[in-house]
Amino acid sequence: MAGNKMLFQTVLNTLQRFNRLSNIRTYSTSKETVSPAIAKRNELFSEEQRRQKAAVGRVEKIEVRYLGLPEDVTLAMNAHISTPYNCAQHLSDGHCKRSALALKDGNVPWDMHRPLTESCTLQLLNFTVADPHLINKAFWRTCSFMLGAALENSFTDEAHLQLHSFPGPNIKSGSFVYDIVLQAQSWQPTKAEMRALSAAMIRLAAKDLKIERLDVNNELALEMFADSRYKREQLPSIAQQNQGRVTLYRMGTHIDISRGPMVASSRFLGKCTVAAAHKIANEGDKDALYRVQGVGLPAGFTLDHVSYGTLEERARKLNSARLPNEPFEEQHQQIA
Amino acid sequence: MNQADVSKLMSQLRIAVKPHRNLRNPDGPEGRLLKLRKTVTALVKHERIELYYNRADEARGYAELLISNAIRYGDRHKATMELADYWLLEKQLVHKLFKVLVPRLENCNFSYTRMYKAPRDYPGMYYRKSVLELRGNPYPSLLPDYTNNRNLIHNVLLDEARKDYRREKLAELADKIASESAVNAEKVGSEGDAKEAENVEKA
Repeated sequence: MAGNKMLFQTVLNTLQRFNRLSNIRTYSTSKETVSPAIAKRNELFSEEQRRQKAAVGRVEKIEVRYLGLPEDVTLAMNAHISTPYNCAQHLSDGHCKRSALALKDGNVPWDMHRPLTESCTLQLLNFTVADPHLINKAFWRTCSFMLGAALENSFTDEAHLQLHSFPGPNIKSGSFVYDIVLQAQSWQPTKAEMRALSAAMIRLAAKDLKIERLDVNNELALEMFADSRYKREQLPSIAQQNQGRVTLYRMGTHIDISRGPMVASSRFLGKCTVAAAHKIANEGDKDALYRVQGVGLPAGFTLDHVSYGTLEERARKLNSARLPNEPFEEQHQQIA
Repeated sequence: MNQADVSKLMSQLRIAVKPHRNLRNPDGPEGRLLKLRKTVTALVKHERIELYYNRADEARGYAELLISNAIRYGDRHKATMELADYWLLEKQLVHKLFKVLVPRLENCNFSYTRMYKAPRDYPGMYYRKSVLELRGNPYPSLLPDYTNNRNLIHNVLLDEARKDYRREKLAELADKIASESAVNAEKVGSEGDAKEAENVEKA
């Protein structure tokens, strides 16, 4: 017993020393308290969500034609209130658990927790459907989004982490990406630090956090991201391309800008590795822009460690997606 | 040494046999056997059936034994024919057993039947359910296929990784050839210079 305790103490000491050096929390599970800025952002998000729910007014019925197993049925749902998840609840528990994304009218990917607006046909997608292109893309986007949350949970305040953005999902590139700004111009992440980030991702997945979507206007979005310099810079151009509206996603307390769609819950992430962080450019005299990359698989997909190792190896190479400091190539491109 | 090899006397089943169940029946052991005969008959007839787990598991062993004996002794063996006659209540299925199932399964290296656990109805009877099927049946597979669909996310990732690796190797090869040819060109160039110098001297 005594031996164990001593060993534990040694490990703890090493980790604490390590923490001071690297600014990544390798030992503590997550930030115990939410920073006031994030608390404020969440408050605004919840308030807007409540306001939009209240603004629905008189409940109107819509007919949702569900296509798929066990049989095609027509469900009478409520416009602007019922979500595809509610439709799945009418079918079975298995549908609720397995469906990660819905397909509206056969071609529009629709978040599971986004209210339906009109009568439509609905299909529920999981990762093993015959053509999983759309859901794979949504999954990859969700991975980037979760990586942002994991980074925010993992860095201590001294690191002065600021989330920049993430490019559109491209599975063929072999890695999902999040671009961040750190107050360190020569951060060389160690293996242990990368492992700690991967563990933060897994921890998020284990929490089974619902991923909510909310469309807000530009002014509210600017207010929500008042403390985040880079997000604030991006907001006007995003709103301009989308009729003054900005789509936000929330998972737990983490809120980010994304065009969507995303999968229904963080639980759909199975195996995951944060593989590398590459320095891209200096920002001012103290800060620098880093590109953090990872690779992951949906829960339930098993891959032997050799194959997964090759995927990890490939995810370490710098992802060639558009860098945040490069200008847009085309006008219609948008941050995912 | 002189003991008989048991496996030659009786075919070994290719499934793990669980302890005997009584399968409660008002008619006693005969009723139980009739129940199992009905199940084995239905299995041979329909090739895939859904039923309660205990009954399926119990009947599976008899179906395995029947098929394995049919493969081993053929249709000219009296005992096997009697066995088939006993287990198959519909007599046209005896023909199916010897003419369809034996050719299909004689080269099979695993069990001749396959059993899956099935979800039970809720709310409904508490008993566990299962699906029992013959191998090589014409129905679509019950298990999802993770290997043949190239669009599944892990297959996309692996395909791209392979392409990336090949691209790298090709680039390496091209570099190697380019450097070799550069060295050769230098050699040829220097030889050419020497010849030219000789020509000049001769002139």
